[in-house]
Amino acid sequence: MGSRSFKLRWIAVCLSMLLTIPAGGCWDNKDINHRSLPIVMGIAKRDGIYKVVLQVPEPTEGTTDLRVIEGKGTTINDIVDKISTNMESQIDLLHLKLILFEDEFAKEGLGDVIESFMRAHDISAKVMVAICDEPLESFFKNINTFHKNNGTVLLSFFEKNAGWNPQVAESSVWEVFRSMNSYTHDVSIPIIRSGTGTVIESRGSAIIGSGRMVGNLTPGETLIVNAFKGSSAQGKIEVMKNATVEIISSATVHRHTMKNGIPYLKSKIRLKVTLLETKGSPSQENIRHEVSKLLQSRYDSIIGKMKATRADILATGQYFRSNLTRDQLEHWREDYLPRLNCEVEFVTVIQNTGLLRDS
Amino acid sequence: MTILQALKHRASLNADIRFQKMTLSGLEVELTGLSSLIDFNASLLHIQQQVHQDTNTGLPLESVIGNLGPIVAEPTEHQLMSSMLAGHLILWFERIDAYVLVAPVSRPLSRTIEPPTTENVLRGSISAFVEDIDTNIGLIRKHVASPSLHVHSYLLGTIQKKRIVLLCNDNVVDVRLRDAIVAMLEKNKEMNIQNLQQLSTALGFSKWSLVTKFNTSELPQEAETALSKGKVVLFMDRMPFAIILPSLMWDMFAVENDRSFPVIFMYAIRFLRVFGVLINILIPGLYVALVSVNPDVLRIELALTIAKSRIDVPYPSLVETLLLLVILELILEASIRLPKSIGPTLTMVGGIILGQAVVSAKLVSNLLIIILAATTIANSAVVGFQNSVTIRLFKYLLVVLSAIYGVMGLLAGLFLVCSYMAGVTSFGIPYMHLMKPRGEPNG
Repeated sequence: MGSRSFKLRWIAVCLSMLLTIPAGGCWDNKDINHRSLPIVMGIAKRDGIYKVVLQVPEPTEGTTDLRVIEGKGTTINDIVDKISTNMESQIDLLHLKLILFEDEFAKEGLGDVIESFMRAHDISAKVMVAICDEPLESFFKNINTFHKNNGTVLLSFFEKNAGWNPQVAESSVWEVFRSMNSYTHDVSIPIIRSGTGTVIESRGSAIIGSGRMVGNLTPGETLIVNAFKGSSAQGKIEVMKNATVEIISSATVHRHTMKNGIPYLKSKIRLKVTLLETKGSPSQENIRHEVSKLLQSRYDSIIGKMKATRADILATGQYFRSNLTRDQLEHWREDYLPRLNCEVEFVTVIQNTGLLRDS
Repeated sequence: MTILQALKHRASLNADIRFQKMTLSGLEVELTGLSSLIDFNASLLHIQQQVHQDTNTGLPLESVIGNLGPIVAEPTEHQLMSSMLAGHLILWFERIDAYVLVAPVSRPLSRTIEPPTTENVLRGSISAFVEDIDTNIGLIRKHVASPSLHVHSYLLGTIQKKRIVLLCNDNVVDVRLRDAIVAMLEKNKEMNIQNLQQLSTALGFSKWSLVTKFNTSELPQEAETALSKGKVVLFMDRMPFAIILPSLMWDMFAVENDRSFPVIFMYAIRFLRVFGVLINILIPGLYVALVSVNPDVLRIELALTIAKSRIDVPYPSLVETLLLLVILELILEASIRLPKSIGPTLTMVGGIILGQAVVSAKLVSNLLIIILAATTIANSAVVGFQNSVTIRLFKYLLVVLSAIYGVMGLLAGLFLVCSYMAGVTSFGIPYMHLMKPRGEPNG
């Protein structure tokens, strides 16, 4: 009797496992070699018509060729679908690593596109975004001459463990989406164009306010933004009149108060630097002073741009969330940000003077 | 007279039944036994010497006969025949019509003690069990010189008697386990047992168990450890290994020989085995899942490399993987069958030629070859062949589930395997249990 019920149980288990097969829809699975894995998507909008450029690595024997496919249409999904129909393999956007917006389009507003990416989820929310300040066609044509590294050069540029530098902003789709929906948090995204000797030329970064490009930052300012946000500013070489230093590490502390409706923010950014190059023999005190002065001026310029564009890329509003009501927060960008009183102190420590002893 | 005549009639069917007449201190005696089991000349000499000595000391005839061996009380043909098959020499005293069973000088029909053939010992005792059950018990006695080691013998079967010996250390043994095994053996006295499957039935295990219920070892050292942990060791006549009950999951990863190394290395080696099992179970499934269902999990560089290696491969990854897995199973199976001298040839043909050819013929991707090589190597890291078979089987479940559900299916499969193993018990001891000697606190 016991073995009979045992057998029945086994049969039930086997049957239920068989039932899972039709539920899985495994016949729709496509093997990796039957999928096209675009890694870069360029989007432009001209006269109300979207133009999408996909850069697809094509694995062949030996090397990887890069294929650039273009399509036009009224929505992004429509274009991708059209391209997929015409391709011999299925386009799988899950491996997309970088979305490039033409600068004209970015100025017009990325809202709809970013929203549709977040909605459909066929593109990972972690995809990096960047702005291309030349026409997409010429950009892709130029970078296609550098396709030695199986087509991943463009992402290596943005990858922390590869070619990323602290002067390059980093933002992903979800961060832009957050900027569109948050009252107090905007982002900066890198601006690039094709280079001549190098694949890409960094042109600083764009200030994105509520999903629109409203201004831009220089690479030096971007570095401050990264340091302020706490991402490491390591490795950056700072050129001054008298010396060049390398920033080894940075740490940031913020203090905030709200007095009579005016937000005050005091920040302290500690930098540890090492001396690389000097002209003449400036004193350490002198160098420290110059570093602070240089960074201070950049910081002031960022704050100025923030106030002018009403885009809170340093997310200073985040610190005052507890001081304001939700209705007040809604007007952070218009009412409070322009009145923000910002003080920053750069504390520079020359950790070592390089391999030469300082006399 | 009739019984002996009947036996003589049998002799025409069995050429090795031998009859011999002789006189022992004036008595007409007829001896019979299997010449294939008994060294007749030595036995005769032995009997003559004993009788001669006994009569010289003036013992009465009854005592002389009694000293030779037990007298069969109510002899039947069947009974005498089975005594003969068990290797006894039968003496028939014509005058008093009595049958006496004599322990003869046996022919040496067992190997001498040799190093193990299915297990390897790096540092430790290298003598292994042999076919002769008494030698095996002797080996254990040598290793466990303890008065609490108890040996119980059982004869199972009706047509063919099989001797099964149960050993346990009464000080530490799990009493419920021992009693349950004894009860099962007593209950199934009539069962004929020639192999482990039948033994498993006799002990009341399910036929459909996917994990082995017997841990087997050729090494007295292993049996000794099992005994000291409170397990029960069974010996079956003509089986050159100890059958250790219960078999637990940890037996897959630990052997006593590990303790011959410093403790850090012992843990490192055991971790390596656990890792090997995980690789073996997971990797083929992971390949199928990542290639067919969830390529998005891969880094783009790796995705492109895999895509590159799969250009022109005609089959979906599931078929590809199963194809090569089956070939590997065949190689494994064939290398067990082949004589040792041809084995290397097969390995070469299977491993190098087939592997290379199958890639250049574009039937499978070369990444898969790497994965399957890793799988096969990892498969052998497990202790005991009986355990590696289990793992080999579970691998297929994971491959199929991965093909349907991708990484999620892989995880679900792993969960299924774990829950199955957690559900297996033998004599009330869960498979996942860590055996502790009785009286020692658990955990």
